[in-house]
Amino acid sequence: MAHDHDHPHNKPLSDTELRVKALESILLEKELIDAEAIDLVVETYETKIGPRNGARVVAKAWTDADYKSRLLENATDAIAELGFSGVQGEDMLVVENTDDVHNIVVCTLCSCYPWPTLGLPPVWYKAAPYRAKVVKDPRGVLDEFGVALPEDTEIRVWDSNAELRYLVLPKRPDGTDDMSEEQLADIVTRDSMIGTGLVSAP
Amino acid sequence: MPTLTKEIVPGLVATGASCRIDEDVAPNFGIGDAVEIRNINPVTHTRLPRYVRGKKGTVERDHGVFAFPDTSAHGKGETPQHVYSVKFSFQELWGEDYADNMFLYIDMFDDYMRASS
Repeated sequence: MAHDHDHPHNKPLSDTELRVKALESILLEKELIDAEAIDLVVETYETKIGPRNGARVVAKAWTDADYKSRLLENATDAIAELGFSGVQGEDMLVVENTDDVHNIVVCTLCSCYPWPTLGLPPVWYKAAPYRAKVVKDPRGVLDEFGVALPEDTEIRVWDSNAELRYLVLPKRPDGTDDMSEEQLADIVTRDSMIGTGLVSAP
Repeated sequence: MPTLTKEIVPGLVATGASCRIDEDVAPNFGIGDAVEIRNINPVTHTRLPRYVRGKKGTVERDHGVFAFPDTSAHGKGETPQHVYSVKFSFQELWGEDYADNMFLYIDMFDDYMRASS
């Protein structure tokens, strides 16, 4: 055979890919969207909006007590102070992890997620195993993420089934007293703001 | 319906579209109220997951007035009503052998709940 390399040229599209293409074609044909608008939405969430936004919110809350109280009181407005607002962040709530309480966020019905602060959700967040298990066995899920908490830590699972979107304010790790707000933002991980991770000192 | 063009995208992304409704609707419940989630089984769109149906919880926070997706998703009007953060123990949801320091918080519309004794 002249054509003896191993990558498939005409691999059939998956059901999801076909469905997306069909939806896109219909929306374009009916002139409900234009192709440049789709490209811009994709580019915006690929390059401009992501978990670094949420990390800035967390770092500011860790270093500015007044900001932290505003954030816990009215998260939507406090987050907007830093310029993060819009689609899927219209009505925000921030829940704080402490020595005694650990919060975890899920959307059991689909994949609701705070886009302006965290970007688009990771695949596991949208997948049935996480959504089904975390409301029933959160410690088991945390274990899968490599997080072990003391037995006496209260666990609060937040199901964002309606219109509120949730961001976890993780615990500031010990040994970070000398770090600046910018340095702190660098150590805040996406998972720590969902509640499936903890922040560690560098 | 207007076409979604490139020019509209940045404004749309930045402002979004809250389902919050600026209307003075009386809440059916207050903070601290004991509630029971109605055991209803809608065959159309709902934000009421099966695992809390028939379960008893406590109203922890009133989020304000929002459009009700169970009707608005079907063009049957916004049916504005209060949404609350309702707290359930894992023991209530999953059984008495669960630890007593595990809780589930979920956002419930007025129409999903009744007062519990």
